[in-house]
Amino acid sequence: MTWALVIRSLFRHPVRTALVVLGIAVAAALLLDMVMLSGGMERSFSRMLLSRGFQIRLSPRGTLPFDTEATIPGITPLLGRLHQDPDIAAAGPVVAASLHARVRDSLVTFVGYGIDPSSQGLYEVRSGDNLSSTDTTGLLISTPVAERTGWTIGDSVTLLGRLDPQSARAGIERTLVVRGVVRWLYDARGQRSLGANFRVVQRLGPFPDRDVASMVMIKVKTDLAVDRVAARIRSQHPGVEVNSVATLVRQFRARLVYFHQLSLILATISLVVGVLLVGTILTIAVNERAGEFAVLRAIGLRRARIVGLVMAEGAVLTAVGSVLGTGLGLVTARFLDRILTSFPGLPAAISFFVPAPDTTALAAIVILVAGVSAAAYPAYLAARAPIAQTLRADAE
Amino acid sequence: MTKSPVILARDVVKTYQVNAQTITALRGVSLSFAAGEYLAITGPSGSGKSTLLQLLGGLDLPTSGHLELMGTPIERLSDAQLADLRLRRVGFIFQRFHLMPVLSARENIELPLAEAGVRPAERTARALDLLAYVGLTARADHRATQLSGGEMQRVAIARALANRPALILADEPTGELDARTGAQILDLFDRLHADGTTLVVVTHDEHLAERAARRVHLLDGLVDRDEIARR
Amino acid sequence: MPALIAAALLAAALQSSPLPGVAVERRLAERFHVAVGDSLALTPRAESPTRWYRIEAIYQPRPDPATALRGEYQVRFHLPEIAGLLSAGDRVDRVAVATRTGIAADSAAFRLNQLAFGYQAYPSATIASESSQTFAVVSRFHRAIGLIAIMASAIFLLCIMLLKVEERRLDAAVMRMIGIGRLTIFKAFVLEVTFVAAIGSALGVGLAWAAGTITNLVYQRRFETALVFSYLTSDIILLGVGLSLGLGILVGAFAAARLVRTRPLALWRRAG
Repeated sequence: MTWALVIRSLFRHPVRTALVVLGIAVAAALLLDMVMLSGGMERSFSRMLLSRGFQIRLSPRGTLPFDTEATIPGITPLLGRLHQDPDIAAAGPVVAASLHARVRDSLVTFVGYGIDPSSQGLYEVRSGDNLSSTDTTGLLISTPVAERTGWTIGDSVTLLGRLDPQSARAGIERTLVVRGVVRWLYDARGQRSLGANFRVVQRLGPFPDRDVASMVMIKVKTDLAVDRVAARIRSQHPGVEVNSVATLVRQFRARLVYFHQLSLILATISLVVGVLLVGTILTIAVNERAGEFAVLRAIGLRRARIVGLVMAEGAVLTAVGSVLGTGLGLVTARFLDRILTSFPGLPAAISFFVPAPDTTALAAIVILVAGVSAAAYPAYLAARAPIAQTLRADAE
Repeated sequence: MTKSPVILARDVVKTYQVNAQTITALRGVSLSFAAGEYLAITGPSGSGKSTLLQLLGGLDLPTSGHLELMGTPIERLSDAQLADLRLRRVGFIFQRFHLMPVLSARENIELPLAEAGVRPAERTARALDLLAYVGLTARADHRATQLSGGEMQRVAIARALANRPALILADEPTGELDARTGAQILDLFDRLHADGTTLVVVTHDEHLAERAARRVHLLDGLVDRDEIARR
Repeated sequence: MPALIAAALLAAALQSSPLPGVAVERRLAERFHVAVGDSLALTPRAESPTRWYRIEAIYQPRPDPATALRGEYQVRFHLPEIAGLLSAGDRVDRVAVATRTGIAADSAAFRLNQLAFGYQAYPSATIASESSQTFAVVSRFHRAIGLIAIMASAIFLLCIMLLKVEERRLDAAVMRMIGIGRLTIFKAFVLEVTFVAAIGSALGVGLAWAAGTITNLVYQRRFETALVFSYLTSDIILLGVGLSLGLGILVGAFAAARLVRTRPLALWRRAG
């Protein structure tokens, strides 16, 4: 009976109700998008960093991984000590250098990664074979490399290193065989990267001191030990920067503080719009139906029941609006994500808007609570109106 | 044995604030009546009839004086207790019917039953019985807005009877109806009275007032005459 | 050449031998309480040896959105000094070239690229376009979000204007009953919503100005920059006022037309 009264009351002004529902839907969509934006970047970044299970990164002191061309010196003894740590399951060095190759009369530049194939957190094999730890003639390429060069698995290619910018003459050349096509997890869209054994790229790269790495990725046996291991490495190796995924996510968050604040401000605005819509419309509806509420009280409905009726109207409006808004929000999130992921140099695996059941539920609950709360004032007006006086005014 | 009065009013005064002006609607009304009575309250506009009816039904509280409904002083009742009293012991009939326009005739009657916690099957059966009593079985599923004035008032009477109240209060129940339809409502009131319902009717309608067993005439917020009709 | 990071920074007494001079930015001077005449120890990496410099000037860098959010400090050197500090030898990151009047940057860059390996010449316009890609993306994002916000506020406006006219049902009924023409009533209501929309628009512009001022104050203080984060331009004001006035009047007119078409008695009943 209560719900029949509530639903049919809302249908008395179909245009008005439709507009309110639409308004709430847009507000709910914006809220959902902003909730996704506020947590999505971190979630996506964290997921990307942990995609191969490596929880700690070592980089040159004062830098973030791949932030500069700086390198960690003395990598062999450092790796030896890391491998002795009983909490560490794997420690994979990575060295990055610009490498080149002549492709159909033009010189093409690549990002070259030197990796230890037995403990690497940098790529996933798409086709062909992975390298073995002892394979010093194998090469891994990415799809953009294959598209640019036309190289396929089994091709022999000559890579040039330490290119002199004045003469375009290579300081070193090495012929490698393409073993597989991989997806580099941290590459930007379209980035041309290739990989070879760690020692091979060390030799090809412009490093006066050969025993260097750009980064070391560390897999800790249990997640609980990550902070402890990071602290231990920090104290034992003060010359390197030690970052767990959690600290990298914090740094990432600090760099993208603007998006957090924007999402907070826009989420607040969308909530205000939703609250104002529900509050205004229900206040007007309650004033229009003051006589009806007085009659309901005259025939014995308690104040709490009247409050319930008005708040139920607010809840129905907001619930329908938030269901529509969730669909709308998911569609607009994809559109907005496409805009933001076109940031130059951003890893292709990063998303700004990550749909997740908990985020969607949170946005829906927040807008629902806001909508129901917005009905509190009109509900109070409906319940507090003096019966006799309202009936008298209604009869005049 | 003397029956205890359904209503007992002593020196009831009611004033209103309209803008900055104080209006005294009732200046000290005293009256009582017993179960089963059929009482008409008459008087010119502004004499305080509707105000008195609203006080008798617990819709408002007197400014001063003493008012008992079924032995309970209403000034001692909380808002929730007053609502409960109106739900179970008092039935209201209004001049402008005041049905819920979005509900059907049956649903309008079921509304107070639902509020009183009657189970759905039972309240539907009771609503249909009452519709049959007021002669509107065929209109059970019509929305209130699809009914004529007379039909709406009959549904309003059925709604007032839903929880078998001890007292029915009616405010100008024929005021919005033509003479023929009004006469049908008066017949229905006679039937209610004959069935033992206590009825208090505020009216300008001389025909209605003549049918009541007792007439209280108000003038300027005071009881001017209180007379038993001779039959 | 990698970016120079001041890893160790000290204010100390003047050294006896004359030190090479550097200029430091105002934020750095304020953060580390150093002034002209103080000396600084600078190093490109933690493990590298430090070199001493004398602060010869404190300057305010031009606001640059690309660096504002990084929180890094700038130090300016004479070219040989920084090359020495970084052991960079006879190298530079880039060379700025000014062309003679009448020579197009595109053709000059093309000719330079033909001359030798070892560098790539770009016209400044290309570099500006490339380096502003990030901001172009942010701008596209703002436009998309703005579109959603406009949709939400337009619907809100529609509701309010519809209700504003609908609450005048009784007045419309009375006016019709006493013989006032439909057109007169329509015009009166449209005038009324225009007035409401105009006041609302003016308040909206005021609110936008206040929000922009607060945004600028907060972010300029947070990032210690003179960058302007929020601009309220005449185009934006025109768009906002135009939309709210236009939509308001349109919806008001629609609701008013509906009202005056309805029979007076029906209006009376609905109002009652």
